[in-house]
Amino acid sequence: MNTVSDRRPMAGSHTAPPGHLLLRYREWSVLVLYRGVLATLGLTIAMFFVAGLALALGTADLNPLTALAAAFGTGTEQDVFIVRELRLPRVVTGILVGMALGTGGCLMQTLARNRLATPGIVGIDNGATAFAVASVVALTTGLAPSGMSLAGSITALVLVLALSGGTGTRGYRFLVVGIGVGAVFGSITNYLLARAPIDSANAAYPWTVGSLNARAGGSVALLAIGLAITLPVAVFLGRQLSTMRLSDQVAQSLGISVRRVRVGTLMVAVTLSALSVAVAGPVGMIALLAPEAARYLAGPRTVPVLGSAVAGALFTVLADLAGRTLFAPIEIPVGVITAVVGGPYLLWVLLRSSSRRII
Amino acid sequence: MRREQNTAPRLRVLPALALSLALLAVVVTASLAFGAGGVGPERALGALFGSGDDEAHFVVTGLRLPRTLAGIVVGSALGIAGAVLQTAARNPLAEPGLLGVSAGASFAVVVSIALGASAATLYAPVAIIGALLGCVFALGAARLRGVGDDPIRLVLAGVALSSMLGSVSSLVLLIDQRTRDEIRFWTIGALAGRNIPTIVTILPTVVLGIAIVLLLIRPLAALSLGDQVARSLGHRVRMTRIGAMLGVALLVGSATAVSGPIGFVGLVVPFAARALVGPDIRRVVPICAVLGPALILVADVLARMLVRPSEMPLGVVTAFVGAPVLVAVVRAQRLPAL
Repeated sequence: MNTVSDRRPMAGSHTAPPGHLLLRYREWSVLVLYRGVLATLGLTIAMFFVAGLALALGTADLNPLTALAAAFGTGTEQDVFIVRELRLPRVVTGILVGMALGTGGCLMQTLARNRLATPGIVGIDNGATAFAVASVVALTTGLAPSGMSLAGSITALVLVLALSGGTGTRGYRFLVVGIGVGAVFGSITNYLLARAPIDSANAAYPWTVGSLNARAGGSVALLAIGLAITLPVAVFLGRQLSTMRLSDQVAQSLGISVRRVRVGTLMVAVTLSALSVAVAGPVGMIALLAPEAARYLAGPRTVPVLGSAVAGALFTVLADLAGRTLFAPIEIPVGVITAVVGGPYLLWVLLRSSSRRII
Repeated sequence: MRREQNTAPRLRVLPALALSLALLAVVVTASLAFGAGGVGPERALGALFGSGDDEAHFVVTGLRLPRTLAGIVVGSALGIAGAVLQTAARNPLAEPGLLGVSAGASFAVVVSIALGASAATLYAPVAIIGALLGCVFALGAARLRGVGDDPIRLVLAGVALSSMLGSVSSLVLLIDQRTRDEIRFWTIGALAGRNIPTIVTILPTVVLGIAIVLLLIRPLAALSLGDQVARSLGHRVRMTRIGAMLGVALLVGSATAVSGPIGFVGLVVPFAARALVGPDIRRVVPICAVLGPALILVADVLARMLVRPSEMPLGVVTAFVGAPVLVAVVRAQRLPAL
């Protein structure tokens, strides 16, 4: 332990500042805000609670305890089948999609210093959707949507960045250029659907508004792998971005490569958004609402990447549960639920404050 | 007397109008002559002048003529509505599609069909009411502090409203299979398959809308200089705004009832008209009335020709043309003055 203080001869390096937790392992140490940890923990508990509900509720309502037991393989054969074959994959997909959306949203918002700059609003989701729909209409392999939607989201991002001249600190121009690019890709998607035979168009329709119903195994696996790789990177980037919130100069003088963090953040956000679109289509508003909730809980002193991820999972599973049960037997795609719930919130954000600074 | 001599040289109104009319004539001819089917330009023009065969005659007068007429009415309505909305909101990006006016109209139609209405004649009144609600929202939001003086923020709010209404529409369409089958293609926006009676049903409301706009054109021109100036010139600002709202709702609602929501026409057309004759709305409106149909018909001909033998929805083509214009307007260092 003494070696630590020898290498880093800062005054008081043994004790964390008030409100912080000092984690160390050998010579590495990390400061974590208590409130952020508590927020993430609380969101995680809530998320598991909702996931348990989602396992229990549906066309056949089960006792939550029965459902939980069935998830681990005990119980009647029918219960086990319903929970493990039908509901568990869907809940897991929802969690993965929500984590990807929440993380991407949090990173993009912090980077652009604007809470509206989520991948869905700046047209990245639309680009991914257009390419993925093209692959569904033309190709039929399981992995094609993921690759194609990645290509689409990168195309959209490059277009938006090139046309708007960067995210900027007041990202309004970035946003409207993104809306324009998104409109072009949206019309491509509409065109592809209008050309497709009516049966396959009807089949693809729920998917274009965002749904956990049409998930394909390969895309889900890719999303899981992508999350496993990018989430630690995202947490790291979040810490850098937290410093960059002060100003680029301050961050630079503290030894952060601003440019590298920017590029890395955009790449992580685009990858996560593309992988989740390939699984569930463009589920809107999660990327806006989840970081918002996480920030509200964790306070303004930290960039809650993990909290946003968990909140995204919570909201996605909750919205999917609502979509499955509210109008049963008709199933409402999760994207429609999130848009209907999140739309008024977005309007409120836009119309409420008189200042231009939004985040 | 003439002020514009001090500013950048602009075309006078009459030459610009003549130019636009010539363009429209060419485009109308093209719209009658070209199609996705087998009747090519020679046969179509032959039929037009009375010498063609029966098939060509039917295709031209029975299919392409109504479609062209629909394009003319819809294009004029959307072009004028865009110009008026931009002046009333004092915002160069105020476009019926972007601000949620079209979305309001189509949402109202979706709801009315889901509630059991089915006659096509019912579309227009319902769509007009929906468009009116959209207008109320747009101009109401424009009057909020911090939103009205920031054009881009108003557009963001409009887009948010549009997407919210769109998702509620999807919700209705998902719950109600009948509605979905009835208007799946209508919600994208197209001119194909419109017949003369449908166009006639919306003609009165379009004419009424244009009449309101023409009546209000002087107060609107004063309004573009600011509320204070308009008031000091003796115009009633509030009444002008309400009247303009009504006119825009009539125009956009009628157009949407015929063609479904077609975005970006109300942005591109006034943009081009202002480039031709300057920002004065008294000159912009006549040009818009001619350029609107020209743009719609060009887009429609492209929609027919690009993916023969099938067709693209018209809204797809206008989004392709319009979104770059939106980007260009936003990219301009200073938003163009109105």
